[in-house]
Amino acid sequence: MKVHVLSIPVQNQQQALQFYTEKLGFIKKIDITLTESNRWLTIVSKEEPDGTEILLEPSPNHFEPAKAYQQALFKAGIPYTQFLVDDILKEVERLQDLGVEFSVPPSDMGMVSIAVFNDTCGNNIQLVQMRS
Amino acid sequence: MIMSHYLNEINRIKHCCFNNERQIQTVLEARNYITNHFDEELKLDQLSTLQLSSKFHLLRLFKRYYGITPKQYQTEKRLERSKQLLKAGTAVAETCYEVGFESPASFCTLFKARFGCSPSAFQKIAIFTKSKNI
Repeated sequence: MKVHVLSIPVQNQQQALQFYTEKLGFIKKIDITLTESNRWLTIVSKEEPDGTEILLEPSPNHFEPAKAYQQALFKAGIPYTQFLVDDILKEVERLQDLGVEFSVPPSDMGMVSIAVFNDTCGNNIQLVQMRS
Repeated sequence: MIMSHYLNEINRIKHCCFNNERQIQTVLEARNYITNHFDEELKLDQLSTLQLSSKFHLLRLFKRYYGITPKQYQTEKRLERSKQLLKAGTAVAETCYEVGFESPASFCTLFKARFGCSPSAFQKIAIFTKSKNI
């Protein structure tokens, strides 16, 4: 069994695609129109193009419990997804220059440093750097 | 910045689990040392002297903060590097010695247990995939 696709719930797939590719630097992998308001839309890390795909999943628009769960997590400031970076200070500065808003500034947390930003699609996302 | 539930939790966990920065620094330095010398024999005695800590204390701290022992971390680094060498076309035996393993048989066993295929099978797939993408 392999980890092939993981999902991030998003309120607007097109807006999410723009944010995740233009600001975060991911690349689009698969884009199939399923219905008028639902695409099978996946992205991958530029550094790992054959790695696990992230499905930008419009579940909050189609399934009320998914919407409520996403809103509750967002309101509590809880990130449900983490991305690993080599230099968190540099990455936070780069993203802030692009207008990305952070709810947790770069902070040391034991053996890692973390920061949390708003992906503008309903989620808090955590950046993680292994401390050295 | 508004104090969210998550920020409160971060502060709470930091206070109860990660409040000893000196311990954290000791473990970080030990990890950096292993990262930079993964191909050498791991001597915890020597490492603990460098970190001004006893061998068993360092072992406990490393396991507590990383969830694995220094030896397991070293093996991870060796296997990680071995994949890069195999992908670049280095022979299996040469890769084994280059990353610090002493026996190709134990290297093959560890590699298979970790990645689900032997080093030679991994190399064949990696080279085939590379040539297919050219």
